[in-house]
Amino acid sequence: MNRSILLTLLVIALLLPMAAACVAPPPLTTVSFMVSGGQEEYEAYKTLVEAFQSDNPDYRIDLRYVPDDKDYRRRLAADFSAGAPSDVFLLNYRRIAPFASEGAMAPIGSMLAQSTVIKEADFYQPAIDAFRYNGELWCLAQNVSSLVMYYNKSLFDAAGVAYPNADWTWDDFVAAARALTVDNDGDGVTDQFGVAIDPSLIRLAPFIWQNGGELVDDSANPTRLTIDSPKAQEAFQWFVDLQVKEQVAPDAAAEAAREGESRFLDGTVGMYFNSRRSTPTMRTIESFDWDVAPLPRGAQPAGVLHVDGYCLAEQSKNKEAAWKFIEYANSPRGQEIIARTGRTVPSLRAVAESPAFLDPEAKPASSQVWLDVVPTLRPVPVYVNWPPIEDAVSKEIERAFYGQATVEEATSAALSITEPMFNK
Amino acid sequence: MPSPSDVRRPFSRWSPTSFDGQVRLFLLPFLLGSLVLIVLPALITVGVAFTKYNAIQPPVWVGLDNFRTLWNSPLARLSLRSSLQFIFLAVPLRVLGALALAMLVQPAGRLFGGLRAAVYLPTIIPEGAFALIFLWILNPLYGPLNAVLGGLGLPTPDWLLNPTTARLSFVLMALFTIGEGMVVLLVGLKTIPKVYYEVARVDGAGAWQSFWRITLPLLTPWLLVLTFRDIVVSLQNTFTPSFVMTYGGPYYATTFIPLLLFELAFDLFDFGAAAAMMVVMYILTGLLVIGIINLVGLSNRDDVV
Repeated sequence: MNRSILLTLLVIALLLPMAAACVAPPPLTTVSFMVSGGQEEYEAYKTLVEAFQSDNPDYRIDLRYVPDDKDYRRRLAADFSAGAPSDVFLLNYRRIAPFASEGAMAPIGSMLAQSTVIKEADFYQPAIDAFRYNGELWCLAQNVSSLVMYYNKSLFDAAGVAYPNADWTWDDFVAAARALTVDNDGDGVTDQFGVAIDPSLIRLAPFIWQNGGELVDDSANPTRLTIDSPKAQEAFQWFVDLQVKEQVAPDAAAEAAREGESRFLDGTVGMYFNSRRSTPTMRTIESFDWDVAPLPRGAQPAGVLHVDGYCLAEQSKNKEAAWKFIEYANSPRGQEIIARTGRTVPSLRAVAESPAFLDPEAKPASSQVWLDVVPTLRPVPVYVNWPPIEDAVSKEIERAFYGQATVEEATSAALSITEPMFNK
Repeated sequence: MPSPSDVRRPFSRWSPTSFDGQVRLFLLPFLLGSLVLIVLPALITVGVAFTKYNAIQPPVWVGLDNFRTLWNSPLARLSLRSSLQFIFLAVPLRVLGALALAMLVQPAGRLFGGLRAAVYLPTIIPEGAFALIFLWILNPLYGPLNAVLGGLGLPTPDWLLNPTTARLSFVLMALFTIGEGMVVLLVGLKTIPKVYYEVARVDGAGAWQSFWRITLPLLTPWLLVLTFRDIVVSLQNTFTPSFVMTYGGPYYATTFIPLLLFELAFDLFDFGAAAAMMVVMYILTGLLVIGIINLVGLSNRDDVV
C-alpha cells in the first residue's frame, strides 16, 4: 500500500520537469554572457541586457554573474574545461594570452572591420591595441581605465597640504604622505596613513616605467624579467620605502586587519591608488569630500593600462548572434548604460567625452584625469604565461614592501622563480 | 559473522523482501554515486597525470614529465613538506584531543549532554563559514583572540602574517573540529563492558591504571580507524582555510598540496601537473597508512581488528 503511494509520487516527481519543459516558450536565439563585478555592475549589465532584448526581440541573453573576480576566472576555466563556455565573456587583456593561444577564443578583428554599427577609429587606440596578440584582435575593449590616485580632500585641508595636481613629483607626493600620516592619540600606533597601495606588480609597474625601467626584455616576446636594472631597482626601492622607511603606508598587520580601500572609505587614509574600479564604492562616501588625481610623475610620464574586453568563445554555437550583442554593448548606447554606474572609463571617445562619463553632478569631479593620461598609458606584456609570472612577482613585491625581504632579495627571488615560466 | 536475518533466511540475501536485500538496495545509490563521482574520476585523474592537458586542447601523452616537473619544482616540494608538517602536528593532536574530550564528556546527565553538543557544534559549521570566523578571530589588530591575549598580558602574535604562526593557526583551527572523532570514541567507550572496570577496582586498580590497562588497549582499533581517517581528512581539509584565509601566504607558508593542486589546474590550466600532484597525494596517504599499520604491528595481530 505504502509502496504504491511512494511509487506514484516518484513517477510524478520524474514527470514534472518534462511537463514544465512542454509549457516553456519557443526557443529564441540565446547568447550566454558572463560578467563579474559588484552589485551596481550587475544591475548595469542587467539594464544592458534588457535594452538589447527590447531592441532585438528575437534574442535572449542568458546573463551569468559571478561577483568575485578570482572566482570568475576559475569559473571561466572550469567552463572551458567542461566544454561549455559562455558565448560572450568579459576578460582583462592581461589574461587573454592563455585563452587565445589555445584556440579557446575566436578573433573578432574581421567582424569589427565589417561592422556597420561601430568602427575601430571611434575607440581609444591603446584600448583596442591591448587585445592584439599573435597578429589577431581577440576582444573588443569596453573601457580604458588606468591607475590613479583617489584622495581625501578633507584630510588634505586638515593637514594644510595643497591638493595634488598633474605636476606633482614623487617628492611632492612623499612629502604630502608624511604630512597626512598621523598618530592622533600619541600611543605610537599610526591612526591615519598618508597612502594605501597594493604591493603588486600592476601597481609598481607605472613607477618603474616612469623611472625609465622596463618589466621585461621584449614586451612582444619576453624571455626574462628586467626589474633588476638599476632604474627599475630605484623605482622598486622608492615604492617599498613608502612602507619600510617612510612608514606612510599601512604595515602588514595593519593591512591584514583592515584593507587600504576600507581605510580610505572611513577617512583614515589620505591617498589611495586604484583604477576606475573603486569609483562606485567611493560614491557611497558621505562624510568627506574626495577627488582623483593623476599618478605623481617620475622622470617621464607613464601610466598602466587597465582594460577589459568582450571576448567571444571559439566553441560558441552562434558567433553571429554573440557578435551582435558585443556590437550592441559597445555602441554608444550600450557603453553609456555601463558608464552610468561609474565603473568604467568608456573606450568609445564619444561616450567618454559625454556626460555619461564626465557628469558634473557625479563624483569624482576630475574624471577628466583618466582621459588626459590615455596617451601615456602602457600595457603589461600580453604573454601566455604572464598571469602566473605577475602573481609570483607580486608575492615578492609584497614581501619587500612589508620589510620581510630587501628589494635585492625579492628581485633575485622573482627572477629565479619566473625563469622557468618564461621558457615554457 | 552471520547476522540474525541470515540465520532466518539463509538464501534470500539479494531478495528485495529480506532485510539484507533491502539494506543492499538502499546502499546501491550510494555505491553507484561513489563509483561515478569518486572512483571513476580518481581513475581518470591517474590517466590525466601522464598527459599534458589544458582543458581546451585534447590531452597529449607525456609519460612521467609531469612528475619530473613536480620533483624539480621548489613550490611542489615546499607544499609537500608543509602538508606533512601539518599532518604530523594536527593528526596526533586531533586524535588525542578527541580521546580526552570523549573521556571528559562521557558521563550521562544533562550537563554532559550539553558539553557533548558543544564539542560537536564546530564540526557542523560549513567549512567556508568556519574559515571566515577564524579570519576574524585571528585578525591581528581587531580580533578577539589577540584582545584576550593582550588583556592577559600575553604576547599577541600576528597569526596569519607570520609563516610559523600561520601554520600553527591552521592546526589550531583543525583542533576545533574534532566532534566527529569524539562521537566515534564515545561509541567505542560504550562497547567496553563496565564489569572490566568493576573487577579492576576490586583488584585495587586506580583510575590511571584502568585507563592505561583497560580503556586504551580496547580502544586501540577505534583510535587507529580515527587516525587513518584523520590523515586522509587533514591532507585535504587544509584547502578551504588556505583558500579563504591566506591564499597560500604569507609567502607560500600555507601553500599546502590541495591549494597548489587547485592553482595548477584552475589558475594555470596545467591539469596534467595537477593530476600528477593528486596522484602523489594518493600515494602519500597510502604510504602513511601502511607505515602506521607496520608501526603498531597491526598486520600480524588479527585479534585486534
